[in-house]
Amino acid sequence: MTGKPEIQLTEQNFTRRAGRQLALYAVYSLLALIVLVYLLSLVSGGSGLSGSAIDADSNTITISLREEPPQLDSGRATDAASFVVIAHTMEGLLGYDDNSQLVPGVAERWEIREDGATFWLRDNARWSDGKPVTAHDFVFSWQRVVNPATGSEYSFILYSIRNAEAINNGELPVSYLGVRAVDDYTLEVEFERPTPYFEKLAAFSTYYPLREDFFNSTNGRYGADADMLLYNGPYVVSEWVHNASMRWEKNPFYWNDKKGFLDAINVGYITQDVNAKLNLFKDGQIVDTHLVAPMLPSAMEQRWHIQLFMEGTVFFLEFNHRDGRLTDNHHFRKALQLAQDPAELVYKALKEASYLPAPSLFPEFIQGVNGPFRKEYPPPEHRLNLAEARRHLELARQELGLDEFPPLVLLSGDTPVAMVAAEYYQALYKKNLGLDILIDAQIFKQRLAKMTSGDFDIVLAGWGPDYDDALTFGDLFASWNLNNRGRYNNPRMDELVRIAQSSLDPKTRMDAFGEIQQLIYDDAVIIPMYERGWSYVVDPRLKGFKRRSIGPEVDYNYAYIDVDGE
Amino acid sequence: MAEPDVADFTPLTAGAEKQELSRPSLSYWQDAWIRLKANRRALTSLYIVIALLLFTVLGPWLWQVDPGLQDLDQISQPPGTDRRAVIVEDYQPWYGESGLTDVNGLHLARPATTQAVRLKWDVLPGASGHRVYRNLFPIGPELAFGVPLAEIYDNDTLYFEDRLDLRPGIYYYSVVALDPDGQIIDSFETIEVQVQRVTTREEAVQRGLIASDSELGIGDRILLDLHPLGTDYLGRDMLARLMAGARVSLFIGIGAPLLFVLFGMAYGSMAGFLGGRVDSAMMRFADFVVALPFLLFMILFKIAFGIGPGESGVFPMLVALVLLMWPATARLVRGQILQFREQGYIAASRLLGARTVYLVLRHMIPNTLGVVLVTLTFAIPSAIFTEAFLSFIGMGVAPPTPSWGSMSNEGIKTMLTHPHELVFPALFISVTVLAFNLLGDGLRDALDARMRNQE
Repeated sequence: MTGKPEIQLTEQNFTRRAGRQLALYAVYSLLALIVLVYLLSLVSGGSGLSGSAIDADSNTITISLREEPPQLDSGRATDAASFVVIAHTMEGLLGYDDNSQLVPGVAERWEIREDGATFWLRDNARWSDGKPVTAHDFVFSWQRVVNPATGSEYSFILYSIRNAEAINNGELPVSYLGVRAVDDYTLEVEFERPTPYFEKLAAFSTYYPLREDFFNSTNGRYGADADMLLYNGPYVVSEWVHNASMRWEKNPFYWNDKKGFLDAINVGYITQDVNAKLNLFKDGQIVDTHLVAPMLPSAMEQRWHIQLFMEGTVFFLEFNHRDGRLTDNHHFRKALQLAQDPAELVYKALKEASYLPAPSLFPEFIQGVNGPFRKEYPPPEHRLNLAEARRHLELARQELGLDEFPPLVLLSGDTPVAMVAAEYYQALYKKNLGLDILIDAQIFKQRLAKMTSGDFDIVLAGWGPDYDDALTFGDLFASWNLNNRGRYNNPRMDELVRIAQSSLDPKTRMDAFGEIQQLIYDDAVIIPMYERGWSYVVDPRLKGFKRRSIGPEVDYNYAYIDVDGE
Repeated sequence: MAEPDVADFTPLTAGAEKQELSRPSLSYWQDAWIRLKANRRALTSLYIVIALLLFTVLGPWLWQVDPGLQDLDQISQPPGTDRRAVIVEDYQPWYGESGLTDVNGLHLARPATTQAVRLKWDVLPGASGHRVYRNLFPIGPELAFGVPLAEIYDNDTLYFEDRLDLRPGIYYYSVVALDPDGQIIDSFETIEVQVQRVTTREEAVQRGLIASDSELGIGDRILLDLHPLGTDYLGRDMLARLMAGARVSLFIGIGAPLLFVLFGMAYGSMAGFLGGRVDSAMMRFADFVVALPFLLFMILFKIAFGIGPGESGVFPMLVALVLLMWPATARLVRGQILQFREQGYIAASRLLGARTVYLVLRHMIPNTLGVVLVTLTFAIPSAIFTEAFLSFIGMGVAPPTPSWGSMSNEGIKTMLTHPHELVFPALFISVTVLAFNLLGDGLRDALDARMRNQE
């Protein structure tokens, strides 16, 4: 009887002692961990001061790229990340300088006529293997782009060259393309129709050259890897670890000493995550990053020099104009247009300091005859008008013979901004017009596929400029344009686009664009939402960094390190 | 001990001293309840679970606010914000006209409100354009002016209207001179602006804050809508959204485990009781189901049910959970049944002529109930987590229907500036999951017959 409690006691003592020991170990390990973390922070803090973002000794910077380029073939590239790499490693006939002015590239001088153009190439432009860049390289590249077998999604941008469209549709062999090399340094272009803005087109990356013998030596793998590319720009891709990193090194054969001041640019990170990029920037691992609204207060607190850049991409609600859709009805679209105010979307719902409410399809930077287009042709003034909106909705109800409107499908991206906008419109149209909206959030590729097949009523779409002319926006709703995803079809619109495309008189062209702007509003082809901009920060030691609306979104071609620049 | 005497050998009178129980007889469940009550942790959890159910069921009756209603005057408001606002005129576009004439330099064209801040200035020395900045902090010697709002490349436009997400409080606006290339030159002006919260009469009437025939007009003070837990990034009431979200989360969290535990119990007891080949066949099938990937099936069901874009994925989620999660319960119950089958009392009952159905329903299932109940309480938090996770990655509810998971997903984007948008749904998920886990823990202890009579 007496033994049992004693055993229990010792057992209890044992557990208690063991527990105490365990607790002690826990405290020790915790302390050790704290010391370790502290030491680590000291070490990384030390290196963070010098950082790897800017290495003045080796004249190298580290940047991050938005995503992995699918391939770097300039004739087939369509995405922003590819354009950034190509803009640093390739050069076209013309280029843009650090003030976004058109300047000579491979072409020394040029002449645009009504029926064609001639480009005289410089003789010191070299490929990265030392051979000269010749007119034949352009002929080969352009013929390849319009060749239907290449499957270039940007082939339409060459359609102003004679027979390009027919060749691209498989109706003519590629040799009929209206371009030829008169000699090694003279390129002769024939136009399909007058194209006064051809010099701007020629600066676009689809027009970049490609050397036939090198292309043939890659056995169809051109652009897939760093050694499957030949470069003629300020930098060459010396290393490409797919989905991880890249390294661009100075091209020793590059002719222009006003570009490419750095010895190397490391693409250390491939990420879309703005928070991760912000942390990298704070740690001095990358030279620049953009800021979204929630990051601004802390950026202000840290007294960073925040910069603003209007990108020139306009986002809008695009209606599906195909037969049988509710949104094919003019009054229905008018009702949706009048029941919203883009200012409220931008200022209250999206809250991005760098976004501007868009009154028009044409962004602010587009030039008119003598000054900004939007000053010469003010966009129609829009006011939210609920009474008028409901009147139009009633008319639509009568025209369509419906008692009640079925729910509309709003196709949107899956990005935070797109989701906020979609939810905002969902609640807005429910409140103002009693319409039900289903949000179909899709990843970019899937959204594009659905836009192409017309599987939507309304889509949150955007359009960025390809070249520096109002036409890059103006021809968007021509019936033949494949990027007219809603299949808007209006003979008057087509007529205006034809005038804008072929007229040589700037005033006539701009009048046409002015009328297009008005027509888009009057017929509610789209509802412009906002023009996108970026709030961004750059390491103060890096000078000459550019963000661009035409060409690459970030441009380090003119960047150089100035250590005392802080 | 004393010597026995004669009296000890006389028989007792009948019925005088029956066998008496010193304590009242307790059934299994009563005993379990007593022991659960003694476990303070489990009891608190039980109260929390009951409170959550009341919050979900009765909450929307008591707090009748539409969870989808966007109050754009109060966006991302933390709880307890000052709700006073002054009624002002409807917004009218402004093109730089101002009643003030004798003011020079950077100044306000009218008092700053949350509707708009209207700035006017004179051309700065040497400027060929201006850039307008807004800051939350005074401009220090670093000359970090804050967030650039606009760039004006000519000297004709000397006004700017800021309407971007204005909140009551102090802002520092700066106008900085630009050279012809758009670069900053060293010439700027700064003012401190106190912004006042306002609303329009029309807005107030629409929200039911004042009657349409109310005497109140421009300049009067009113109280905006009350949002006890604040609002989210579109000005929607957090409390109402949490209640609506609770409905989805608890529907999945309780509905799915209830169904799959019931099914698992039936399946497991059948397999266990029948035994032999049937048992192995049934259990191999259960193993097969365990191996099926949940997420893939969730997507497949979503397609199979024809859930279109923008429609709720909650039903396929329920089906996927029920169809794929039952084997754990089935195995547990089968093991128990196998054990009981060989017990003496079953044999006795069988000898007394009990039929199979009776045996299963009277003896076996009630005996497994304890284990099953514990499984259920542990399955609930995992189902809630699954729902939260799926809604977080966008596979669950369709907007505008909230769920705790989707609310967390939305809240995480503004975690640094408006933490309450993440904290509340996350807190609800955590507390619910913790409560169910602790309750399950308590139930396991309470229902374990071997721990009976042990303190």
